[in-house]
Amino acid sequence: MNRCRWMLTSLLFISAWLAASAGALAAGPKPWQMNFQEAATPVMEDIISFHNLLLVIEILIVLFVLGLMLVIIIKFNSKANPVPSKTTHNTLLEVVWTVVPIAILMVIAVPSMKLLFFMDKAKNPEMTLKITGHQWFWTYQYPDNGDFEFDSNIVDEEDLPKGGKRLLEVDERVVLPVNTEIRLLMTSDDVIHNWAVPSFGVKMDTVPGRTNESWIKVTKTGTFYGQCSELCGVNHGFMPIRVDVVTKAEFAKWAAAAKVKYAGIQTPPKTAASATAKAIKVAQAAARMPGAHVLKR
Amino acid sequence: MSNEAAHRTARASRQGKSTPRRTKLTAYALVGLIGGMGALVATAQPMYRAFCQVTGFGGTTQVADEAKLAALIIPVEDEAAKAARYVTVRFDANTNAKLPWHFRPVQRELRVRIGEQVLAHFEATNISDKTIVGTATFNVTPYKTATYFNKIDCFCFTEQVLHPGQTAQMPVIFYVDPEMLKDINTKNETAITLSYTFFADTDQSAAKKADWDQSAAKEADRDQGEARQAEAERRAENSPANRAEING
Amino acid sequence: MSDTAHAGTDGGHDHSPTGWRRWAYSTNHKDIGTLYLAIAVIAAVVGGAMSAMIRLELTQPGIQFIEDFQFYNMLVTAHGFVMVFFVVMPALIGGFGNWFVPLMIGTPDMAFPRMNNVSFWLLAAALVLLVASTFIAGGVGTGWTVYPPLSNADFHPGMAVDFGILSLHLAGASSILGAINLITTILNMRAPGMTLHRMPLFVWAMLITAFLLLMAIPVLAGALTMLLTDRNFGTAFFSPEGGGDPIFWQHLFWFFGHPEVYIMVIPAFGVISHIISTFSKKPIFGYLGMAYAMSAIGFVGFIVWAHHMYTVGFNVETRSYFVIATMVIAVPTGVKIFSWLATMWGGSIDFKTPMLYAMGFIFLFVAGGVTGITLANAGVDQAFHDTYFVVAHFHYVLSVATVFAIYGGIYYWLGKMSGRQYSEVQGRWQFWITFIGVNVLFFPQHFLGMAGMPRRIPDYPDAYAGWNMVSSIGGLITMLGAFMFLWILYRTLTAGAPAEDNPWGEGATTLEWTVPSPAPFHTHEVLPDTSDLQAAE
Repeated sequence: MNRCRWMLTSLLFISAWLAASAGALAAGPKPWQMNFQEAATPVMEDIISFHNLLLVIEILIVLFVLGLMLVIIIKFNSKANPVPSKTTHNTLLEVVWTVVPIAILMVIAVPSMKLLFFMDKAKNPEMTLKITGHQWFWTYQYPDNGDFEFDSNIVDEEDLPKGGKRLLEVDERVVLPVNTEIRLLMTSDDVIHNWAVPSFGVKMDTVPGRTNESWIKVTKTGTFYGQCSELCGVNHGFMPIRVDVVTKAEFAKWAAAAKVKYAGIQTPPKTAASATAKAIKVAQAAARMPGAHVLKR
Repeated sequence: MSNEAAHRTARASRQGKSTPRRTKLTAYALVGLIGGMGALVATAQPMYRAFCQVTGFGGTTQVADEAKLAALIIPVEDEAAKAARYVTVRFDANTNAKLPWHFRPVQRELRVRIGEQVLAHFEATNISDKTIVGTATFNVTPYKTATYFNKIDCFCFTEQVLHPGQTAQMPVIFYVDPEMLKDINTKNETAITLSYTFFADTDQSAAKKADWDQSAAKEADRDQGEARQAEAERRAENSPANRAEING
Repeated sequence: MSDTAHAGTDGGHDHSPTGWRRWAYSTNHKDIGTLYLAIAVIAAVVGGAMSAMIRLELTQPGIQFIEDFQFYNMLVTAHGFVMVFFVVMPALIGGFGNWFVPLMIGTPDMAFPRMNNVSFWLLAAALVLLVASTFIAGGVGTGWTVYPPLSNADFHPGMAVDFGILSLHLAGASSILGAINLITTILNMRAPGMTLHRMPLFVWAMLITAFLLLMAIPVLAGALTMLLTDRNFGTAFFSPEGGGDPIFWQHLFWFFGHPEVYIMVIPAFGVISHIISTFSKKPIFGYLGMAYAMSAIGFVGFIVWAHHMYTVGFNVETRSYFVIATMVIAVPTGVKIFSWLATMWGGSIDFKTPMLYAMGFIFLFVAGGVTGITLANAGVDQAFHDTYFVVAHFHYVLSVATVFAIYGGIYYWLGKMSGRQYSEVQGRWQFWITFIGVNVLFFPQHFLGMAGMPRRIPDYPDAYAGWNMVSSIGGLITMLGAFMFLWILYRTLTAGAPAEDNPWGEGATTLEWTVPSPAPFHTHEVLPDTSDLQAAE
């Protein structure tokens, strides 16, 4: 009981520290960041709090082993202890170091399962965002908000607006309403990609020939960034994700305008973005790999 | 092992002489183990498919056979059970980049009574100037509902051929098994998404055949048409009243 | 003892051959072991150069010098292949295994000496093919996991992937032959009195590793063959357009891939057990527990593969099974860690270089192991999958821990193998430089991963610049340590002090220390009687 309380206290302490050091509202990674990007969904909040528990347990394990090793170095070096003992067995000890780790694992397993089952399925999603990965850009489709779709390409370094984040900004952003359960359907057009936004705690492979489902409910408005998280070829590092989360009213307005803006846009023939300033070099790389369709801009 | 045996083994190995029996047996057993693992991996693909089929792994849907359909009648006739639950079935369509087709669901979603057979349509258009064979892969999400999602008939069971510019309605008939309501993991599901991806079939021989069939059919049409016209002209000579009809 | 054992020495043809024939046609376990160690050192230079290029490219945001990203992906891939198949495995299994299994169990040679030769040259051919693949058609840019569709003919149309596949086929064949040899030798050719339960732990480790190889490699070989036919003969095992499934590859690959990490680390466990027992001057604590913990780790290693695939889209029940199964591995691993600590406890420890490496191994393996617990939990793995956190984790347990076991093992046995002893001062310096280097190199990668930086990208958002710079500095320090190691190796082999038969004293109790240093071409021609060995229990 005591141990539990102690663990809780340190957990709270660490969460407070994490929260304090996380900085301003969700806007991608920060320089010298040592922890997660700020949570913007209940799933990510749960991931962080469960990870805090893991972190405490794991740091204690490492410190325990380190402490034993320090004692060994000080007490059992050949100067301090010239005559080695001959002990090679201690049944009680052996039972303890088998049973205690099992107990620790059970402490971990319970919240782990809770988190896993919680993040598995949205209760009742209000809308759907369909995400399709391509080499090397994303296509987003809003089947429930006017059934429009658009491609989202990286913004080249030279076209970057002031204050824009290199390698993270896109030309056409995903816009989503706040406090809304959103079903994410993901698939791919060519190779396996992975759509990941750290602040949302979502990361799922887009696999050609099958559709994967995940969900988010973003509780904060703001701008969120992510990157493709499965090696997908030459420009794997250059297909970022930017999500702008806005109020429901703003979203409705945006969706109405988007329906007009993107109406009649047929995706094939598809074009890929050139990756920042290296376009020529990339083209060379792509030329060596004729199967990878790239760079028609 | 005995001293003798160890010595013999050691000596034999040093001299490159015949290997002792026990050593040989061990080696054969190990080759057998490798063979066993080899057999396992050689049969892995059918096993994987069967596993997906049985467990709905990766969202693999079920194919309803006669026995299943027969069994289904009981819950359907139970009006109370039938009315008990609805589920939304959503439809999703993808086209692989290498296939110049437009492919979309005719209806975005349907509210479906669980246990009831439902017909839904997808629509595909060939926007190229070639006849192309396509095949569709499919799955449902959430994956855990896949074992309860039964297809009675589906365009995805066979390859589809579209002529240049041709648009086709592609039907799928399915039902959601009432057993879903008994499964603690799935009974609260409110929506199932049925998703298809059309690929250009690696085997395009059916396209050639279809082209040939089509031209043959056209030929036949034309022959028939000519015959008809000849017949009509022949008649027209006999009956002037018909001439206007033919010319019109 | 039987005096007939001497009869074999008159054989003639296998008396110390000289010149290139000695090496090319070698059927001698020590010579073949040396060849394996040599190929591991050569491959380590190649793989190390690749990692140096990767780290230099990532020193700062923006493009430093790798302007062709396919080249970057190729580096990432080849670095993985080289380190796994041509450094760690040859050094620990082919090198130490060949050298010391016969010495430790008291037998003159391996059961199938000629097969041993074939096994080595298959590996050499495999390395040539792999290096060749990097020069063809932009190389294999798929990552060492070779996931289709990226690895199929549409997205890697050149011959590079085919070369890579054939290279792995040869390396696999080599491993299988080596494994048959090891198991047969260990099961049938132990000296009189050496029961399974009296076998040194390194031999236990090799036995378990060999069984893992026999069961895992055929699966890889099968999967690679399917990929090869997919690429070249129009089958569709892994391509959805032909009715296949790319996820099927991942299942096969990781069914091999997870045991593969234990294939790399279990021999390291064996080496570390010997070093710790020797320098603590104590028998290993809980010997049987250690042996069976390794067996348990090996067994459970076969039923946890999908924890590498948490984000491909599994239903929640599947993931929860793999979470639990994976965490179970922590229990036998804990047994090993605590048994090592208990072996040291009460000992009279000399902190010579091998012991420093062994203690470094334990600490860093624990540090890498606990992040393994984090990653085992599918829930938090959703945040960590494919980030630098994963890179940090597996480099801690492989690049740091396993390579520490290789360094430690070479220092430990170099006198026995070469007849010359390294300089203790130089060895300690090399340890501390490497220890600091790898920590500066890999620890900041945990932070990068938590902040969300993906793996396998040649350029990164500017916010990740700080820790990447630190990491690259660590890389330079580690490289300094590696160069220093090569220099020490060279100095020892050319000008080292003569090594005693047993330079470590009373703690070194296994049979290899009873033969002269350097170990003569033929050893244990009179089988040692080990029936007076202290029974393990």
